Amino acid sequence: MNNTSPDKDRRDPRRFDRRKSTNVSGHLELLSKMSGHLAVTLNIEETIQKALDLIVQFVKAEGGALFLINDQDDSLVCKASAGPVDIRGIALQAGEGIVGQCVAENSSRIVRDVQQDPNFDHSVDDATGFQTRSILCAPMTVHTEKIGAIELVNKHNASVLFSDMDLLMLQTLASAAALAIHNAHMAEDLVEQERLSRELELAAEMQRSLLPAPRPAPFPVHGINLPAYEMSGDFYDFFDLNDGRIYFSLGDVSGKGMDAALLMSKTSSLFRCLGKTLHEPDVLLATINRELCETAIHGMFVTMTCGLLDPATGEVQLANAGHEPPLLHARDGSFTPVPASAPPLGIMSLVAGNGGIRNETFNLDGGTLYIFTDGVTEGDLKDGSQLGIEGFKKIIRERLDLPVAERIATITSVLGNTGGKRHDDITLIAIDSSTPCLKENIRDNQAAMIVRHTFAARADELQAVREVVSKACDDCGCPRSMATDIIIAVGEACQNVVRHAYKGIEEGKATLEIVCKDGIIQFNLQDSAPPVDPEKMKPKWPEELGPGGLGICLIHDIMDKVEYLPVHSGQGNLLRMVKFIERTN
Amino acid sequence: MKHEISEKQGASVVAFTGEVDLESSPVAREILLKCLDSTSKVIVDLSEVTYIDSSGVASLVEALQAAKKNGSQFALAAVSEPTRRVLELARLDKVFTLYDSVDEGLNA
Repeated sequence: MNNTSPDKDRRDPRRFDRRKSTNVSGHLELLSKMSGHLAVTLNIEETIQKALDLIVQFVKAEGGALFLINDQDDSLVCKASAGPVDIRGIALQAGEGIVGQCVAENSSRIVRDVQQDPNFDHSVDDATGFQTRSILCAPMTVHTEKIGAIELVNKHNASVLFSDMDLLMLQTLASAAALAIHNAHMAEDLVEQERLSRELELAAEMQRSLLPAPRPAPFPVHGINLPAYEMSGDFYDFFDLNDGRIYFSLGDVSGKGMDAALLMSKTSSLFRCLGKTLHEPDVLLATINRELCETAIHGMFVTMTCGLLDPATGEVQLANAGHEPPLLHARDGSFTPVPASAPPLGIMSLVAGNGGIRNETFNLDGGTLYIFTDGVTEGDLKDGSQLGIEGFKKIIRERLDLPVAERIATITSVLGNTGGKRHDDITLIAIDSSTPCLKENIRDNQAAMIVRHTFAARADELQAVREVVSKACDDCGCPRSMATDIIIAVGEACQNVVRHAYKGIEEGKATLEIVCKDGIIQFNLQDSAPPVDPEKMKPKWPEELGPGGLGICLIHDIMDKVEYLPVHSGQGNLLRMVKFIERTN
Repeated sequence: MKHEISEKQGASVVAFTGEVDLESSPVAREILLKCLDSTSKVIVDLSEVTYIDSSGVASLVEALQAAKKNGSQFALAAVSEPTRRVLELARLDKVFTLYDSVDEGLNA
């Protein structure tokens, strides 16, 4: 072994390794320290300041600055600064100065002596009084994404200039810092996404709360809304009017994003609010249109159908602004579309009546009216084909045995269980007249004689009620002997309201409605007392008559049909008594 | 409803006129029970009753039951058409003793 070689010291692998290992371990230590610091914070400002402080400390620089690219204009903005002069906030144009060139070319720079470099910009030194001697600059990139650059200024020791080793160190550290910043950015995005998704959830919940609560049959209106995404651009609603009619609506806002959802919320609120006072569907739609046009959002519009149902007669008044024609499924099985009379809302000024939005008036007559959005007819089936209008009719025909609420749920489940993502919201309402409420209906009430008599539920009011009944019987041609019987039956029914429904405690009111048409006379007696059990209102003959029992027997004996119907508002009782005038004759 | 009470041949004759309904039937009930307290024969003249409801019928039934309990006589006389109709509908026309006239009832 030759131990006397002049190159021995330089070439001694142990010495070399030791020196290298000192640098590397210091380097690794810094990296691990930096990673440790950076891992605990997701705050980007804090991250970059810590990274810069550590680098400045390790490279023994007098000062340093970390620049990040501003996404808007590609300028470089100083986000962290270390050393005697704080230059945070200083912005450089893309490609400007040593930092700008370094980023633009994605290469590191070392300027040992700035006084010798023509590229050096003296303006900062002039402004701050700082004297720059030597500069190191390394770009920060992750993959191909440029993030910014780190610049170090002057060795601490004024007599030393930056070395290539320092530059190598800075390059490595800048890469680590870039990664940390990139991660912090991603973490920030994640937090932001999380916040947005929470907000979206709340908004979706809020939006769902705008839909009316389902009401069990025989309430005649049922609806379903299945949003394709979190938020829906569709809506439906219904509510009772004081006169017993029910307002219903369904709408579809163009587009599917948050903007559509917000416009949907606005439109449905307008319907609910204005509908309380505007009891003409065409006038209501024209008014909503005016409101939407006033605050028009460019390119957005609403197709909307709304109408009024009189559950007592089955009559519907419907106005349609640009919406897919609702389908009336009649008792005989035929389907009739009710086309729109006007363009969608939010586009142009519209008047109610001829030349604008028109009311269509028709009678459900035991049938069901379906109003739906194109998400239903354009909804995908399992085999990838669209349901289409014929497919829709087919399901309705096949599921007629189901109660209407379940029937429409079948449609949404056929469309909702295809596995793939839906493209559009699915919204559907059904206005049903096959419930008991509308049975024994007297059609075309314009030609029918209708008497309404409201009275205080007191014994001394009953005589006046009998007079009203007597006159109505005469007016619709009842033979006198039948009229006498009818007066007895209706008198007993009213007496029961006075004696039992209100139990003599509270002085309530009752309304007797008399409808006469086509040889049928119908008496609807409604009170707002606590509901009575119809089971207890069945006639019992002959011995076990309790109080009121005799009256019930008389009613059933005299009338051809007696039924207790649920009241839509949920409060009170509705007794319907029907007598066939012609059949008896 | 109006009423008139007279004593004839040892019996009380109560004549009701007008409508015997929920409003007036408590009065009718009281009158009938009072008469049954003082006499052993009560005849109710219903010729002028234009309307009677189940509460009016119930007053008559209660008086009938009270009379049976005391061994008194209680009968309805000259029953007007509207009253007869309600009694028929209530299947009570066979329960009461009915006379065509008050006199017939008094002489029975």
